[in-house]
Amino acid sequence: MNTIVETKHVCKTYGMNGVAVEAIRGIDLTVNAGEFVALVGPSGSGKSSLLYLIGAMDSPTSGEVLFEGRDLAKLRDGPRTDLRAKNIGFVFQTFNLLPTLNAFENIEIAMRLAGMGRSERQSRAAELLGRVGLSERAKHQPRYLSGGERQRVAIARALGNHPRLLLADEPTGNLDSKTGTGILELLRTICSEDGQTVIMVTHDFRAASYADRVLVMRDGRIRGETKLQAGQNINQAMEKLLELELQ
Amino acid sequence: MIDIAIKNLGTRKVRTFLCILAVLAGVFLVGVTLVMNDWMYGTMTAELAKYMGKIYVQQGESTYPPFDSTLSQDTATAILDRTDLGLNLAESAPLIFVRTERGMMPFIPAEKMVIGVPAGREAILIGTVASNSGLNHFAVGEKGDVAILGKTVAQDFSAKVGQDITINGTKVRVIGILEKSSMDSVNIAAIMPMEAVQRIFVKQGQVSSVLLTLQDVRKTAEVAARLEQDYPALGIVTQDDMLAEAEQVMKMPIMYMSSMGVTGMIVAMIVIMSTMFMAVTERTREFGTLRALGARRRMVVGTVLIEALILALIGVPPAMGLVFLMSKAMETTPPDTFKLVQTIVFTVVAAMVGAAYPAWRAARVEPLEALRYE
Repeated sequence: MNTIVETKHVCKTYGMNGVAVEAIRGIDLTVNAGEFVALVGPSGSGKSSLLYLIGAMDSPTSGEVLFEGRDLAKLRDGPRTDLRAKNIGFVFQTFNLLPTLNAFENIEIAMRLAGMGRSERQSRAAELLGRVGLSERAKHQPRYLSGGERQRVAIARALGNHPRLLLADEPTGNLDSKTGTGILELLRTICSEDGQTVIMVTHDFRAASYADRVLVMRDGRIRGETKLQAGQNINQAMEKLLELELQ
Repeated sequence: MIDIAIKNLGTRKVRTFLCILAVLAGVFLVGVTLVMNDWMYGTMTAELAKYMGKIYVQQGESTYPPFDSTLSQDTATAILDRTDLGLNLAESAPLIFVRTERGMMPFIPAEKMVIGVPAGREAILIGTVASNSGLNHFAVGEKGDVAILGKTVAQDFSAKVGQDITINGTKVRVIGILEKSSMDSVNIAAIMPMEAVQRIFVKQGQVSSVLLTLQDVRKTAEVAARLEQDYPALGIVTQDDMLAEAEQVMKMPIMYMSSMGVTGMIVAMIVIMSTMFMAVTERTREFGTLRALGARRRMVVGTVLIEALILALIGVPPAMGLVFLMSKAMETTPPDTFKLVQTIVFTVVAAMVGAAYPAWRAARVEPLEALRYE
């Protein structure tokens, strides 16, 4: 299997009010193409920090983050930005849609930034809107969309450039459980049907149970890991995850 | 990214409108400055063109109009009697200038003045200025207390032809009112016979200057040099001297007008800067999202600069329209294409300078910082 992301003893320390906070403490991780990996853990466990490092939005204090073999820390701002534009799709907890653009334009913008031609990106945006079931809402600005619709637009935006990796930071964090389930099912489908590699951060074990592999994090370290079987009963999966959490 | 910039501006309508209004005021001031400076130079050039081939002889160091100059009438007559100078005697004469009301500003020597001219020679001053009464000469003779009024003076006195006005305690009959002249020194003057001015202002036997018109204008410098040699105590003023003096006098109003224009542009620049700064601060998260999605720093800079440019350029057409209207109202030449281009260039530069720092700030937003922004 192709390795998409590999971290080698990665550490990240932030300075907060003059105090050093170790967010990540020596994490070794490998994510292969087509995997759906969930990073689960309580607030402050370092899962989001790890996601930002993998997403080339931050640099490690020590260690290496390799994206398809390239050390992200060695890239300058321009190439890092290009790498994000062309290879990584982001889905944020707070959706982060641009408020002045409508749903269609929000999907298109990421493709514009990656340098995709007008006609190609327009047909791709239309296709993705259809895929997330929002063709009828194409001309609506984010403020006229529900939370679930916004997150669907954000997922469509993240998929626009056929990214090698999709990163989702608490994608259901601002949604009710029913809408959240819809989003998780969409992510699961994208991974299963398209072979899309997904890394999702969540504090919700139920959400994590949609992944192929779950890594439990605490205090900046990976405390445990489990693989979930396709079609596994959700309750069984959650029991397994709770065992991990309690170890 | 122009479409995104336009959408951003459209979303914040009130702020956009107020910013455009401020830019409009700034551009208007710049436009007015350019028109006014041009008008002042144009008027000065037109005024001075009439002095080509003319020489004023007056008391040394005095300026024009020579209110402070006093020459004896005998000296004036002696100069006019010289046959070696090649004078055009029909257009040469002694003159007396009396200031009756001082100008409000240092660069305006007089608000009103009286000019004494030998009877029958008033055309030297009036030139081709038409009289609305059809009368532009002192038909009543040398001793008459009569006056031909410039347009401004006539308006100030609410005078009509045939009416009496009082000058220095003496009743003077208005025998003509001139149409507005491009020479402001004519508009603000009451032109009277020399003898009457000398008597009313108790200056018998005195004149202020001698106006000499040469038959051959090419000999102006040569004649001026000869006069300077023959009358070292007197001031010999030619068109070149007047130009130098006028430029000196014009320096202050032009600087004043220019500073108004510059101030207007600075105000517009500060407004653009504060507007864009607020917009950037409010949109930190948006810029962070763009950066996370793959927007390079230069693209973020471009977005901010384009927004500023649009704000600035929207203000130009209405501002220039107002400048056109104002120039019409003031009967001055409206701005030409060059001035329009000049104004647009000023505006673009001001917008770019004003937006530079906010754009730089926006480009420095890290994606991570913005995603954590609450």
